[in-house]
Amino acid sequence: MVKIFLDGGPVEVVEGTTVFKAAQRAGIAIPHFCYHPAFVPEGSCRLCLVEIEGSPKLELSCSMVVREGMKVSTQSPAVREARRAVLEFILAEHPLDCPICDKAGECKLQDYYQDYGLTESVFREFKEKREKKVRIGDQLILDRERCVLCTRCVRFLAEITKTHELGLFERGIHSEIGGYENEPVRNGYSGNLVDLCPVGAITDTEFRFKTRSWFLTKGESICPLCSRGCNIFIDYHPGFPRVAGSAKVYRIRPRTNEAVNGPWICDHGRYGYVDLQRKNRCEKLIWNKGPGSTTELSWDKALIVIGEKIKALRENGKTGRISLILTTWLTNEELFLIKKIFKDGLGVRNVSFADPAPGTEDGFLLRADRTPNRRGAREMGFEVKPVDLDVLARDSDILFIFGSSLAGGSNDGAWKAALEKVSVKILVTAHLNELASAADFVLPASSVAEKSGTLTNADGRIQRIAAIARACGDIRPEVQILLDLAREIHLDDAYFGALTGPEEVHRELAKDIPFFGARP
Amino acid sequence: MNREFTADLKKRIEEITARYPSRQAALLPVLHLVQSETGFLSAEEERAVASILGLPPIKVREVVTFYTMFTRKPLGRFHLQVCSNLSCSLADGERILRHLQAKLGIGAGETTPDGKYTLTEVECLGACEQAPCMMVNFDYHGNLDPEKVDRILEELK
Amino acid sequence: METKVLTKGFELDHLFRIGVYLDQGGYRAVKKALTEWKPEQVLDEVKKANLRGRGGAGFPAGLKWSFVPQKTDKAKYLCVNADEGEPGTFKDRYIMAHDPHLLIEGIILAAYAVGIHTAYIYIRGEYELIARRLEGAIGDAYAKGYLGKNILGVGFDLDLYVHRGAGAYICGEETGLLESLEGKRGNPRLKPPFPASVGLFQSPTVINNVETLANVPFIVLNGAAWFLERGSPKDGGTRIFGVSGAVNKPGIYELPVGTSLREIIFDHAGGLKPGRTLKAVIPGGMSSPVFKADEVDVKMDCDCVAAAGSMLGSGAIIVIDDRTPILDVLSKVAKFYAHESCGQCTPCRLGTSWIHKIVKRMAAGKGRADDVDGLIRLSANIKGRTLCPLGDAAALPVLAIAKKFKAELQTALKGSA
Repeated sequence: MVKIFLDGGPVEVVEGTTVFKAAQRAGIAIPHFCYHPAFVPEGSCRLCLVEIEGSPKLELSCSMVVREGMKVSTQSPAVREARRAVLEFILAEHPLDCPICDKAGECKLQDYYQDYGLTESVFREFKEKREKKVRIGDQLILDRERCVLCTRCVRFLAEITKTHELGLFERGIHSEIGGYENEPVRNGYSGNLVDLCPVGAITDTEFRFKTRSWFLTKGESICPLCSRGCNIFIDYHPGFPRVAGSAKVYRIRPRTNEAVNGPWICDHGRYGYVDLQRKNRCEKLIWNKGPGSTTELSWDKALIVIGEKIKALRENGKTGRISLILTTWLTNEELFLIKKIFKDGLGVRNVSFADPAPGTEDGFLLRADRTPNRRGAREMGFEVKPVDLDVLARDSDILFIFGSSLAGGSNDGAWKAALEKVSVKILVTAHLNELASAADFVLPASSVAEKSGTLTNADGRIQRIAAIARACGDIRPEVQILLDLAREIHLDDAYFGALTGPEEVHRELAKDIPFFGARP
Repeated sequence: MNREFTADLKKRIEEITARYPSRQAALLPVLHLVQSETGFLSAEEERAVASILGLPPIKVREVVTFYTMFTRKPLGRFHLQVCSNLSCSLADGERILRHLQAKLGIGAGETTPDGKYTLTEVECLGACEQAPCMMVNFDYHGNLDPEKVDRILEELK
Repeated sequence: METKVLTKGFELDHLFRIGVYLDQGGYRAVKKALTEWKPEQVLDEVKKANLRGRGGAGFPAGLKWSFVPQKTDKAKYLCVNADEGEPGTFKDRYIMAHDPHLLIEGIILAAYAVGIHTAYIYIRGEYELIARRLEGAIGDAYAKGYLGKNILGVGFDLDLYVHRGAGAYICGEETGLLESLEGKRGNPRLKPPFPASVGLFQSPTVINNVETLANVPFIVLNGAAWFLERGSPKDGGTRIFGVSGAVNKPGIYELPVGTSLREIIFDHAGGLKPGRTLKAVIPGGMSSPVFKADEVDVKMDCDCVAAAGSMLGSGAIIVIDDRTPILDVLSKVAKFYAHESCGQCTPCRLGTSWIHKIVKRMAAGKGRADDVDGLIRLSANIKGRTLCPLGDAAALPVLAIAKKFKAELQTALKGSA
């Protein structure tokens, strides 16, 4: 360990630590544009300069390694003046178009100016005119006037994706970021450039001009779009200003977890997640009474009607003729309740899974399995096997379908024929598709952003998701739907009555199955 | 899309790469060589060089745009580079530039319509004892005055 | 006083031919060192000679060599800095054009001293004809067995290549040079690590200026004491001063280190043209702070010039007479550094450009009363805060001109207002 003094206070860090990281550890934030923990220090922005006793010049905290007894000032007048001067240089050539900049409110240049700038402008010259709307990727726009040339984007594409779509052209004041002959950034990780950009130079067309950053609240969650389970922030409108329908989630961003995804997420997750939340949402209960006759339905009535049908089978000892089509999109808690109610409680044996077809593994974060909880289902004792249409047609009176992704699609002839043989089909889904018209009952379930629970990634890591966006319409989380159904048919009132939500369910799960108990 | 270099050019490129432990290190000399053959470096040449040296083309563009001697557009047959730095201006180097502008009817950074001359204002050429000076292609000419410039242009015919 | 050492043979025709060079006793230093001396002896002699870098920074060459690790698994490299981009500087061109084998000899000795087997001469791209002459000389040296495998049968190998730059002042900065040699933009690197440990191709590297290396054969042949006699005790040998601007005889003058600036201008370079008086002198290339006419009684060695508030730099002396408005000088300085900033770090990229914009406006007759103070403030905000020395190189001359000629600049502003 090495002991240094930061702004007078002693800090002990391991040998080889940089002054920047030592300060971070001590809770002292040092401003920076070019430095990013994923890259080797570049030292070009000159904002992280600090004063080190005995050193004739200010030193870069991002690259300076601590020495025993080193006395560092991060706030001396010389340091503050140097930072002010750097900001003055940048702002002199900056377009100052904050009112129409999507980064406003979370822009480092704004923040640092607040901390170190706040001086009168003395720049009397003409600002350089540069291109403000350069399309550099499918969702990416580059504004060269806002760019501070930290080159994080260039380094990300050189060092992380190794795809080299962006480079640094020209030199001096004419230096600019650009792609080669307008070839776009297209590597499955392009969205990270938006997060990496410390200012509003790279913005996302999916987010551009849609809202203001200060209306957003961030919630912590897990990306469900593959079995890696990348840690994410969900940026959403919590209610003010009000927005229509399910359009509450504005974007997701990576949440650093070195064990899972580092500081990055892929575009499949980033853009897929928002689509998942916003597109084709099922918000109302539907009762398809017959061809052309659709009725809206209340939850109370739906539970009674469906409960009656289950009870009728139970009275005849035929609950074995209930079939389940599940998905590994379901949380551990949902799967556990399904196991408890249907497998253990009603003796259902015909359980299969319909999941989206695997995609291509990209060798970085994105896994072939595009669902978040296959490992959880397996550890729960489910055999994750595909639907056997013959068995389904032969052995089912009631079919519960959770989720809405049937391999081949329900319009497929074989599927259609099989489903027609089943007298009662209940679809519990967050999204509408052709299945909704084939089902007798459609129950609107919450999206990943609207429910709480845990998911088990491919490596067996159990990670928590939280209900962040408020569901609209009749949407209810599956855990509630399942518990209501259990109570409706009086399965085990003492047991299910004590469970009020995902937290309690998880506690039971942890007690029941050691795999889940051994982990937090 | 890719330009195909002649076998001879490829051989000369390989001779250059043999001097370095990394192929990328050959980039500047190879660009000099290719530019001396083709006159300028278009995207075609950049891509071809990138492919021969095993680099992404953008790394070549980054370099081409950094150095003033690489050009992405055609230059005149005679590239007149007039120094505008201090020692030359102390010897009234501006007069040389003005003279050439008037005589050729083009501004600095321009090429005559017949493609014969390109006029460029450059920084110090390292021949300050002969100020004012200029380069015509790679030939140095010092102690210039308008008359001497005229004689030089005469000989370029 | 006869002081010519390096430039002694320059009057000879065809000294660049190896035959002529050998007739003049060429490659004797290499023979002596390789056959009689251990590498450490070469290093020690150069150290004792207090040979300081002739490129700009004035760092002791022997000390620089000694920073390279003796034992390493990696190849070691020697890079010869022949970029010669500092405005006012043209001395290395003379050495390479007239006496390329002297440089090659110096390179062989340095490589031998440090245990290097590959060397590159990084020469500015505009010196294309000189690069060809060097390549010719290198070819001859290979043919005579002074380069290549098993030189002089002593088991020492050295390969030497010429590498042309392509028009970027920043590549004269040693780490910019390394990047450029690796086929990249000439953006300087963060230090540490220093090139002596992590340099070219991530390997230990020595970077020396042409003139610095050209001195080494003489040190080997004549000894450190002889060399010190010809210069200052802490700054040995002669220097090739390049004089340009408003003097009667611009050119190179090889003189003992420590010769007074006044003597160089008035005795050697012929003084100023009739009727003109001295106004200012830039003593060591454009990046060195200007001296006023009454400051030229300074001894031209690294330490004395530094003590007087400037730098000996590359020994490039630019003389400015009373007819030149100081604003013209300032304009050239501002334009040059804005043009040559690599753009990598914020204060240099934006500071040099801002300064240039102000100076252009002043030159266009649109100056403001606070412009000179503004220039002083901006230069101070660049100085000492940039990634590489170009920031200081850009800021210091502007600061010196703005401070020392403030009155004249202010008067010019009033005239324009």
